[in-house]
Amino acid sequence: MTHLQFDQVTKSFGAVPVVETPFNLAIDRHEFVVFLGPSGCGKTTLMRMIGGLDQPTSGEIRLEGEPVGAPDRRRGMVFQSYSSFPWLTVAQNVAFGLKYRNDLSEQEKAVRAERYLDLVGLYEFSDHFPSQVSGGMRQRIAIARTLAAGADVLLMDEPFGALDALRREQLQTELRRIQRRDAKTIVFVTHDVEEALFLADRVVVFSKRPTRIVAEIDVRSRLGEERSLEIRDGEDFFALRRETIGLVRAAAGDEL
Amino acid sequence: MSAVAETISRPEAAAPPAAASAAARPRKRATRGLLRLRTPLPRGWGPTIAVGASVAIVLAWEFVARLGLTTPLFFPSPTAILSAMARMISDQHLLWHAWVSTLRVWGAFLLAAVLAIPIGVAMSGYRVVGAALEPAIDFIRYLPVPALVPLAIIWFGVGEETKIFLLWLGTFFQLVLLVADDMRRVPQEYVEIAYTVGANEGQVLKDVAFRAMLPGLVDNLRITLGWCWTYLIIAEIVAADSGLGFVIWAARRYMKTPEVMAGVVLIGVIGLATDQLLRLIHRRAFRYL
Repeated sequence: MTHLQFDQVTKSFGAVPVVETPFNLAIDRHEFVVFLGPSGCGKTTLMRMIGGLDQPTSGEIRLEGEPVGAPDRRRGMVFQSYSSFPWLTVAQNVAFGLKYRNDLSEQEKAVRAERYLDLVGLYEFSDHFPSQVSGGMRQRIAIARTLAAGADVLLMDEPFGALDALRREQLQTELRRIQRRDAKTIVFVTHDVEEALFLADRVVVFSKRPTRIVAEIDVRSRLGEERSLEIRDGEDFFALRRETIGLVRAAAGDEL
Repeated sequence: MSAVAETISRPEAAAPPAAASAAARPRKRATRGLLRLRTPLPRGWGPTIAVGASVAIVLAWEFVARLGLTTPLFFPSPTAILSAMARMISDQHLLWHAWVSTLRVWGAFLLAAVLAIPIGVAMSGYRVVGAALEPAIDFIRYLPVPALVPLAIIWFGVGEETKIFLLWLGTFFQLVLLVADDMRRVPQEYVEIAYTVGANEGQVLKDVAFRAMLPGLVDNLRITLGWCWTYLIIAEIVAADSGLGFVIWAARRYMKTPEVMAGVVLIGVIGLATDQLLRLIHRRAFRYL
């Protein structure tokens, strides 16, 4: 069932076109879609338009059949940097996702925030400030806040870009687990091929500008739904990775 | 290039003789290390060095004055200034004058802050407000306050209003632009996070933008408060019968240099104390930084 749909979307900032050729894409409910492409190819802009943070110049994006409007808590955002508020503790940051919900009592909010704090393994760091925890934990704060807010679409803009390889692997595994458990629709932007394949049900490979889709890779049919470190080290993963890198290189064209 | 290489390899070359006096070595290295670019000071050294250097400067000054190398009329010794200050406190209500000046500074400063904060925030938050106000503010900001003294007297006479107005004039227009800049520096991500968890515009401003800019804002207020003291003297010299500016100007008329300097020193002391207090508050309030 289609959850999100791009219908003939174009975007330009003033006179500068970002997405010139009308863009079409349908994303299923509970699907994990990764936008993979060179920097500056417009993938982030497309994702931000889902969140209502940028508006299409023409065309329409539909969420459950309805055109998306201003940002709201159904579509949560996790940024690469400045993803948590430095003046709030870890627990307060997670609870911020619920701050503006009038349909929950304060006690319900507290219980919920605690649950997501626990889910991302930050319970014991509740009273720390973001400056006192690692970069990986800061990204987990953002994920927990977004989940606590009740978003069913998670929009993630290179959220693990600044992390070291080990932590990144750990968070990827965790994110995939959470996505399956909580049945979330995720749109994830990255330029890291391995990350894309490990996380995605489907990878959408973008060309450099003018933006268009070069390929769609059905990762689910190739690797299955369950992702683990064994799969990551397996033959299938390597073969798929080689193929994808070929596609990305071709898409980047003369840039490489 | 070769000179750099030599410098780098020198410690090894110097190793044999240094090894002979191994006991003296770590200490020597520690003091030399302090003069390296951006070396952090060991714990507790900062205040010690600050007090030590200040005391040294005062002692050197006293020493030079005692030797008779300066004319007391132009450059009195610290002790002469201190005794002048003591005399002024007992005979001339110096502390009352200081209090009057402090009230003027804080009155004008608070007035400037109360107006500058919302206007500055609005200027960055809403492009239309910024575009409308920036030329006017930039224009007034470049006018030297002393040039506006006659106008201030025509408008407000020689009462308190004139002094407050001149101080306000010197700070408000600077502060507005600093506040606008603080607001502009709030990461867009913070604002967008708030929108995506369902905050409305007012909530974004209050709960996120303002909170994010607060540490920078408090720092800018602290710096602006210092400027107020600069303009205070101008305001109090023009037309006043109270305040430190008046005291200093009156003493000058009779060439009482120690009294002039006592007034100046008192301003410095008040400034230093206020600044340290505000820094302390900043550290306490923004522990998370």
